[in-house]
Amino acid sequence: MKETGEIKNEKFRIIAGFLLLIILVAFFFVLGLVSGSVAIAPGQILKILFGTESEEVARTILLTIRLPRVIAALVLGGALAVSGFLLQTFFSNPIAGPFVLGISSGAKLTVALAMIFFLQRGVMLGSWAMALTAFIGSMLSMGFVLLIAGKVKSMSFLVVCGVMTGYLCSAVTDFIVTFAEDSDIVNLHGWSLGSFSGISRGNVHVICIIVSVCLLTSFMLSKPMDAWRLGEDYAKNLGVGIPLFRAALIILSSLLSAVVTAFAGPVSFVGIAVPHLMRSLLKTAKPILMLPASFLGGAAFCLFSDLIARKLFAPAEISISSVTSLIGAPIVIYLMVSRGRTKGAENG
Amino acid sequence: MAELLRAENLSVGYGKTPVLKGVSFEVHPGEIVTLIGSNGSGKSTLLKTAAGLLKPLGGEIFLDGRKLGDIGEAELSRHVSILLTGQFRTEYMTGKEAVSLGRYPYTGRFGILSGEDREKVKSAMELVKVGELENRYLQHLSDGQRQRVMLARAICQESALMILDEPATYLDIRYELELLEILKTLAKERGTAVFMSMHELHLAGAVSDRLLAIKNGGIFREGTPEEILTGECIAELYDIDKSSFFKSFGEYPQKSR
Repeated sequence: MKETGEIKNEKFRIIAGFLLLIILVAFFFVLGLVSGSVAIAPGQILKILFGTESEEVARTILLTIRLPRVIAALVLGGALAVSGFLLQTFFSNPIAGPFVLGISSGAKLTVALAMIFFLQRGVMLGSWAMALTAFIGSMLSMGFVLLIAGKVKSMSFLVVCGVMTGYLCSAVTDFIVTFAEDSDIVNLHGWSLGSFSGISRGNVHVICIIVSVCLLTSFMLSKPMDAWRLGEDYAKNLGVGIPLFRAALIILSSLLSAVVTAFAGPVSFVGIAVPHLMRSLLKTAKPILMLPASFLGGAAFCLFSDLIARKLFAPAEISISSVTSLIGAPIVIYLMVSRGRTKGAENG
Repeated sequence: MAELLRAENLSVGYGKTPVLKGVSFEVHPGEIVTLIGSNGSGKSTLLKTAAGLLKPLGGEIFLDGRKLGDIGEAELSRHVSILLTGQFRTEYMTGKEAVSLGRYPYTGRFGILSGEDREKVKSAMELVKVGELENRYLQHLSDGQRQRVMLARAICQESALMILDEPATYLDIRYELELLEILKTLAKERGTAVFMSMHELHLAGAVSDRLLAIKNGGIFREGTPEEILTGECIAELYDIDKSSFFKSFGEYPQKSR
């Protein structure tokens, strides 16, 4: 009796957890659409979406500004959390993430370089080119992190190196921005702090295509990811083709965080904090559940953070990273402290 | 019966320097062959090489007459299962999830268990008596409990060859004896070949068909427990001063008398 009770409990927890996540995403999505300097009622939104709204101003605001922004926050937030989950899986380390490992900053550096280079020649970079540039940067940072990971086995040292790489890339980006021409700075400054504003409908298309391909591929890898939790030797014994699997994790996580950085700039702490929150919420770490949960959790987290960024000091906007850091950093600190405590207890 | 595992003039090691050189041996179906030898003598390295986790540095190793290196991961996973030493940093993985991973080679793309798979997981957990650990997280288990969960995992992989690195570590005396019974059952009833390492000589002697004593980068002695577990041979194998060995243990193990 007790046994079946526990299993029911587990199923209930997972179903309730997913329902909660979906409701949160839907709630913040709608809230993001209705709120702003011009109020648009939910009913009006439906009319606009079905093409029966006559008022041009509301229509333009919703379709060209708010909708792309809210969709971007949803998809990119989810992408960031999944990227973090993939990295945590790869390194078997719960404090890994695209931001702490310097992968986002690498992408930021190459995008800044490319933007200035092409803007000075009067060429605007297209969405695909932006994504590609960011991918190159994130892969370069990732390569550096892997090089270190191959030499030292200590996970905390790896994170320290990642943070240093992040600072290095940010410093170089700052230099470039400082020496750029005035017209470029306007473009670069908001982006380099992180923001979901200024994302066009064209951007949204590219974002959705790349992210959904990455998500589907990641989901197809949920079985080997499950075996990988026991470590490389067990995974190999169970039949996982290790080199291909590792390469896939690296490419997917880099690509996901590159897309985020290309269009929203660096967004911190979502990648670490969200997968951890999801593990605590669902009390499981099965990849097949964690992947969709991380996506939904990241989406809700970023939709909420974007709302705060827009509304807190409206009409002035604060950067999205400030908000996500404010919420995410304490979670990460708590995570590290509580892990340190259980480790200590195990040794003692 | 033809041998299941055969090593010919095998050299094993990490990197380029071999720990063991010129090793040749065979393991037959239904046979339990145990490696004994001091810490760092290369037992684990040899086991990992036999499981296909490390590439041989020289010589050849055959599984069922085929070169181990020529068998793909997916196919190999149905023939060889492992139990290794060392911790893993797995969080939120229940005992049942861990054992279920033993069915990995048989499940579909998303690793969903069939009714038959679930039965096999259950019976493996019952065999090793870890049924009550199914909803407990691995990180909260004692080392001995975790060891038994991982043994159940290896068993439900249903491989012809099981490679176990120090399976008796962390176990109390009751579970040590149960481990021996389980291994005997697997070998005699299912015809599973067991290739393992052990520090507990009394256990190794009680369960093994043959012992391989490892020393100085090679096989030092090979034979039945009666042939190997003599005070003299053990003292020499572990570089123990004979007088101190006999002072502590008398004529142990008894079979040498």
